[in-house]
Amino acid sequence: MRRSIGSGKDCGYRRPERMILKLQKMLFESSKHPPDQAPHGAAAIRRRAGWRPFALSMPCVLCVWIASLIATDSAAAAGPVRAVATTTIVADLVRQVGGGRVAVDCLMAAGIDPHSYKATPRDADRLARADIVVSSGLHLEGKLADLLEKLGRRVPSVAVADGLPREKLLPVTDGLFDPHVWFDAALWSLCPPLVAERLATVDPDGAAIYRKQAADHAAALLRLDGEVRKRIASIPPDRRVLVTAHDAFRYFGRAYGIEVVGVQGTSTESEAGLSDINRLVDLVVTRGIPAVFVETSVSDRNVTALREGARARGHEVALGGRLHSDSLGGAGGAATLEAALRENVEAIVTGLGGAR
Amino acid sequence: MAGEAGHGGPHTVEFHDVTVAYGRRPVLWNIDLAIDAPGLFAIIGPNGAGKSTLLKAALGLVPLAGGTVRFFGQPLAEVRGRIGYVPQRETVDWDFPVSVMDVVLMGTYPRLGWFRRPGPGERECARACLGRVGLSDVAERQIGRLSGGQQQRVFLARALAQQADVYFLDEPLAGVDARSQEQIFRVLSELRAEGRLVVVVHHDLRTAAEWFDGVALVDMRLVASGPTASVLTGDNLRRTYAGPLDVLDEIGLAVEQARRTR
Amino acid sequence: MTIPYNTLVVAAGVAAVGFAAGVVGSLGVLRKRALAGDAAAHATLAGVAAAFLVSGRRDLPVLLAGGLVSALLSLGGLVLIRRFTKTRDDAATAIVLGVSFGIGIALLSGITARGIPGGGGLEQFLLGHTAALTAADAALLAGISLAALAAVWLGLKEATLVAFDPAFAAASGWPVPLIDYCLVALVAVMVVVGLPAAGAVLVTALVVIPPVAARLWTDRVGAMLLLSGCIGLIAALAGVAASGLVPRLATGPMIVLAAAAIFLVSLLFAPRRGWLARRLGPRIPLTFE
Repeated sequence: MRRSIGSGKDCGYRRPERMILKLQKMLFESSKHPPDQAPHGAAAIRRRAGWRPFALSMPCVLCVWIASLIATDSAAAAGPVRAVATTTIVADLVRQVGGGRVAVDCLMAAGIDPHSYKATPRDADRLARADIVVSSGLHLEGKLADLLEKLGRRVPSVAVADGLPREKLLPVTDGLFDPHVWFDAALWSLCPPLVAERLATVDPDGAAIYRKQAADHAAALLRLDGEVRKRIASIPPDRRVLVTAHDAFRYFGRAYGIEVVGVQGTSTESEAGLSDINRLVDLVVTRGIPAVFVETSVSDRNVTALREGARARGHEVALGGRLHSDSLGGAGGAATLEAALRENVEAIVTGLGGAR
Repeated sequence: MAGEAGHGGPHTVEFHDVTVAYGRRPVLWNIDLAIDAPGLFAIIGPNGAGKSTLLKAALGLVPLAGGTVRFFGQPLAEVRGRIGYVPQRETVDWDFPVSVMDVVLMGTYPRLGWFRRPGPGERECARACLGRVGLSDVAERQIGRLSGGQQQRVFLARALAQQADVYFLDEPLAGVDARSQEQIFRVLSELRAEGRLVVVVHHDLRTAAEWFDGVALVDMRLVASGPTASVLTGDNLRRTYAGPLDVLDEIGLAVEQARRTR
Repeated sequence: MTIPYNTLVVAAGVAAVGFAAGVVGSLGVLRKRALAGDAAAHATLAGVAAAFLVSGRRDLPVLLAGGLVSALLSLGGLVLIRRFTKTRDDAATAIVLGVSFGIGIALLSGITARGIPGGGGLEQFLLGHTAALTAADAALLAGISLAALAAVWLGLKEATLVAFDPAFAAASGWPVPLIDYCLVALVAVMVVVGLPAAGAVLVTALVVIPPVAARLWTDRVGAMLLLSGCIGLIAALAGVAASGLVPRLATGPMIVLAAAAIFLVSLLFAPRRGWLARRLGPRIPLTFE
């Protein structure tokens, strides 16, 4: 089962290190292959020549590798900054702020649910090798918390939403906050400067560039904020209810004056019960809501059951569209947060009967 | 009656060179035995001698390692409807939620074929069979609430309901009280009088001498077979049981033979 | 007070499943193949996960089909182990159960760990969750349940015969192994159909507890099957009702608890076979002459 890693982006390793790593990988992987597989490279050499040359060459390779590490550490940083982002949304942020100076590798592909994603050893490897690790924060990446915390001590990290002022956040249960801050464009516009500052510590030469790009991006977000506000306002007030698969849009709702109801809770880990669905069917029917929405990274089943229940009571509820919630992209989908937010808003406005 | 094809036609039951093994352990070797209807025939031998296995081999319940079994000159598959079987009582879970009548009705199932339910005709037949074994008053009782003798008679009634020409009974008198034993033998004699063949795996030498026309002594191989009086000699019995006979058995046999020759 | 549509849909589907599971389970219990049903139940998880990975769809028919395939494969494996090795029945069943369940759990956790879209919520097949049953899903479950009941009604005579006295059945010319396979396959089908309601881990309870409870009340096969079906139906409905009242509660454990409660009551209060009846009633001799 193949995963598409933020494909198309250059890894950005420097050449000597790349060579060493390739050789290392060949040697290590060849020792795992069963003997009847066609051996290649180092494994073939090993089989023909026996164990001893291999055993003798290992210390040499190690010495060369350590030397190259020392060399690279002391040399001036050449080539782009290697950033690893957890979600596609955060990856977009880092790209906007970092521009050409930063090569962004994204851990989770489009459509992946960040609430339940667990890291593999290879992921941990990628994160450890990065120059900077950028995560969303506020426990969005619930299963990565331990790993990120451990990495935070060794690799420069920033959890974007953690840096936001607490009074602007929506609490969930005691101590925890709703992490879906990105759909409040004005709130999210506070994040680019945070990323810029952290990038500056890793790459001081580019500090000025980062700060400028961050400011530009923040301004764009604020403009977007205004547009969205106007669009949402065009929906008749009694229709301004957004019913989605899970509670990912509370910040969106608070910022733009629309009521949001999720079938599941704030995390997709919790499951909707029969009573929840009944409650929502009641809501949809009594308030005459014309459309409900599914999400790109969450299963449709609950929403389908909801629509059936409403239909049985004589109220036809349309499927307003598939919203981006925890992830960008997907087939023909938006690659940046701006585009995703615009697409979401258009779907919502059209579905709920706002001005075209 | 046993061992001769006096009337010129095929034997009712014929074992030819039958060998049966469980895995690699042989249980029966080169059994050659022919039995003809009508008659009451006993198969006797020590425990573990393969008596039940002989029955199961005849009925196709265990595979033959060698040899053939023929009924009326034909293989089992063609004459199944004419063969009845009464297995040992322990093979069944008597806690099973069926009544006496339900069990007897099972004897009519082969006639019904797939998916058909027993009808009034079958019920009549079952009631008649219950009457013959003297269990008419317990027809609706669950089988676990019967005595050993009654349970055996239920099995017998089921066999009667099969309306077969040849009956195989596996230790029908084990653990049965004397009165039930006599009742069972009465029914078996009636079957013989109707011209059928009844083959019984039997454990008791005393009653064997008294009740059966023919006997086969089996101890992994066939020691002897034929009319009871000529087969149940001390010599044959010693060869079969390969150990000192129970004194009481010897005495009993001697008494029987004395009674016959009087 | 009108019952909400979604509750009705779920109740109808689950009631049909509960009834059929009780009836089919009775035959399995009488044939002493209850453990094989448990092995099949645990094996369904692997099939469900595989079906999702292969097809990328979350539709219930697709997932249940996958579950059925893996359940039947595990039963086939059981037969092979029994035929070609000297392993005893209980050990063989434990092996098949453990291995297939392990594969299922591995696939399932792989899916959630990768965060594959739509994969969230597949763990509901572990303990059962009926909240989001659509009318089509419920119709599918009810349809299969009815077909299973029809099969039982058709072949009741053969099933009872083989369950009671397989030696006599074989001697009478019935194909006992074939009838056996059909019976166990039917149990596997019911186990798969019971997955949404009770989950892979607990669906055995829906198939085993009602028959055992029913046995305490009656001595006739027909009555036992009917009563077992009713108990299964009540347990299934009770489970759904309980999980409907309390949000986020899985249905499987509630169904099992309801069935167990009925079993306990039967154990205590059944006439003749219950504990109370034996203590208080006249000593009924178990044999007559």
